Amino acid sequence: MTFFADFCIPFIVGATVMFIIIAAKYISWLRDLPRSDIKLIVKGAVSPRLFTAAWEVVRESLLHCRIFRVNPLLGYMHMSLAFGWFLLIAVGWIETVAYLGLKWVPLQGHVFFKYFAALNDFGTHKPTFDFVMDLLLLVVLSGVTLAWLKRLRSRAMGMKRATKHITFDRIALSALWFIFPLRLLAESVTCAIYGGGGFLTGGIGHLLAEGINADILHTIYEPLWWAYSSALGIFFLTMPFSRYMHIFTEIPLIFLRHFHLKPETKEKSYDNFEVEACSRCGICIDPCQLQAQLGINDVQSVYFLRDRRYNMLQQKIANNCLMCGRCEAICPVGINLNTLRQNSRTSMRNIPNENRYKYLRNLDRSEGDGRVGYFAGCMTLLTPNTLTAMQQIFEAAREDVWWADKSGGVCCGRPLKLSGESDSAQKMIDYNKELFYKHRITTLVTSCPICLRVFREEYKLEGIEVLHHSEYILRLLRQGRLQVGYSAESTFTYHDPCELGRGSGIYDEPRAVIENIGKLLEPAHTRKDALCCGSSLANTAIDDRQQLTIARGVAEELDATAAQTIVTACPLCKKAIARGAKNTVKDLSEIVAANIK
Amino acid sequence: MINFGFSINKPRVIDLNRNNLNKSKEVIKEMPELQACIGCGSCTATCTAGNLTEFNFRKVHTLVRRGEYQGAYEEMNKCMLCGKCRLVCPRGINTRGVVMLIKRKLGDF
Repeated sequence: MTFFADFCIPFIVGATVMFIIIAAKYISWLRDLPRSDIKLIVKGAVSPRLFTAAWEVVRESLLHCRIFRVNPLLGYMHMSLAFGWFLLIAVGWIETVAYLGLKWVPLQGHVFFKYFAALNDFGTHKPTFDFVMDLLLLVVLSGVTLAWLKRLRSRAMGMKRATKHITFDRIALSALWFIFPLRLLAESVTCAIYGGGGFLTGGIGHLLAEGINADILHTIYEPLWWAYSSALGIFFLTMPFSRYMHIFTEIPLIFLRHFHLKPETKEKSYDNFEVEACSRCGICIDPCQLQAQLGINDVQSVYFLRDRRYNMLQQKIANNCLMCGRCEAICPVGINLNTLRQNSRTSMRNIPNENRYKYLRNLDRSEGDGRVGYFAGCMTLLTPNTLTAMQQIFEAAREDVWWADKSGGVCCGRPLKLSGESDSAQKMIDYNKELFYKHRITTLVTSCPICLRVFREEYKLEGIEVLHHSEYILRLLRQGRLQVGYSAESTFTYHDPCELGRGSGIYDEPRAVIENIGKLLEPAHTRKDALCCGSSLANTAIDDRQQLTIARGVAEELDATAAQTIVTACPLCKKAIARGAKNTVKDLSEIVAANIK
Repeated sequence: MINFGFSINKPRVIDLNRNNLNKSKEVIKEMPELQACIGCGSCTATCTAGNLTEFNFRKVHTLVRRGEYQGAYEEMNKCMLCGKCRLVCPRGINTRGVVMLIKRKLGDF
């Protein structure tokens, strides 16, 4: 039995090179992992997480469940290509086993089985396989058709904007688009000459045999198989360097993620898995407010990851991001886009400097000696109404408070970290941490979500419970230490701050507090889908006018709820929204303080 | 000399013809809005770092624009990048961007 023909060469070369390159990439990435990550992998590999990860691989790498949630048609397109192709390979393998029994057949024997089946005598014909294989090919072809349609009209698939691809991706993309139509043609012509085939290849083969001269069919027979093999070969050769690297990379990524590996403040080898798992599907483009409201279209996560992958990332691209997390929330691959962007900035701007912030030594401007500490944060100091309101709340609840920074304190460090100066930010973190321990507080309340996030994620405050003021106020209300008056006449709408909602997962507490005071009306974008106020500290690139445009867009939605008061739980959001809103904007603590009974 | 309990700064002249204005021009080119500064000093008044130490953002960026770069990078390193100055600036200047830009032009990244 022969399983070789000249036309197989492009396929064999492509597939071999692809597997070698991918193996080399994975091995070098795994080799460079820090020891702590390797320990996590070893621990995870012998735990039940292995199975939950495998299940996620089926759900996401093959079925693409998360994309179905974005848009069903878009989900079907991705599923038909991925799962359809996978089944074509799997069923094709079963088909060869059914014909030849369990014996070794070279790769091209499986892939070009129809060709070799016509060449060799494999025994009785099995029409069931013909039918299944044709059906699967039809499914994949429907996906390819949708992919074409998406290029022409992405809106039909729920995407206002599709990714602008680089030339190299276009080559890979074209090769992929040609693979399946060429396979259909090659198999159909084979059926036309040798008979057999299911409803699709057999049917077309039948028509071809009737309509076209047998000589012509014999002439185009080999070239068609050559073309099919070449399309596969080109696709495989370009794959490890193009967006299609995601096909394989998402699988190890899912396993590593289930083993609790994650990107950190500084770049590390694991990041490669996340960066190359990006398929550049472009789902992150539409939610980006820089795109939607400012028309900036080269900074979105898809372009950021692409630039970072090819080592052509510029500071102006890396810095131009609100890090609001709207793209991260929708990313079907679940890439930690914000952390990756932050650690890219760190690679660009971090300069360890021992002398920096020496002036923090022996500094202590705190007041009071309660076990409950209150950290206003820079932004709250700039919105004194919030500070006064918190003071009234503490007094009403008879809480003994230690005021960390009422008369000037040190920044929490998050703004500096977001801008990439991580080592210097650590100095502020260390300073504040020491201060908290020195005053032996057991609870730390802050009214700034930016501070909250860094307290929870970076400070590692053992023995100190960190609370956002929305959580703290709700606790006081539930414990009965604070009573507020309810009025059904008062209507409020609530803006989810990015750092509090998507950043810290606090959605319900501020809403519960508001519902103790009056009626809550939700804006169009809310909770996980909430918009960013535009003043995010993470963005150092956009100017004031652009910030205002974003703020107006958000304020418009909040005004549209017709609520009397716009409530938010972040001093920065409050300032930003107030610039664009018609209604009054208040911090959560202000409406609580105003309604204390 | 009699000690009066105070001193007077040495007379100082900034000679724009003699100063090398290349870096200054680069800063202005990348952040033209800095020219809209009216020198009101709100940034400095609200500054978190300025509240704790001798750091004067208005002074530093003004000197940089005049071509006086000596010590500017070290001064800018006192900034915590908290962003209060940006919120109070009546001209809406991207002050955090200015800090980062000046550091990039005068520092080593």
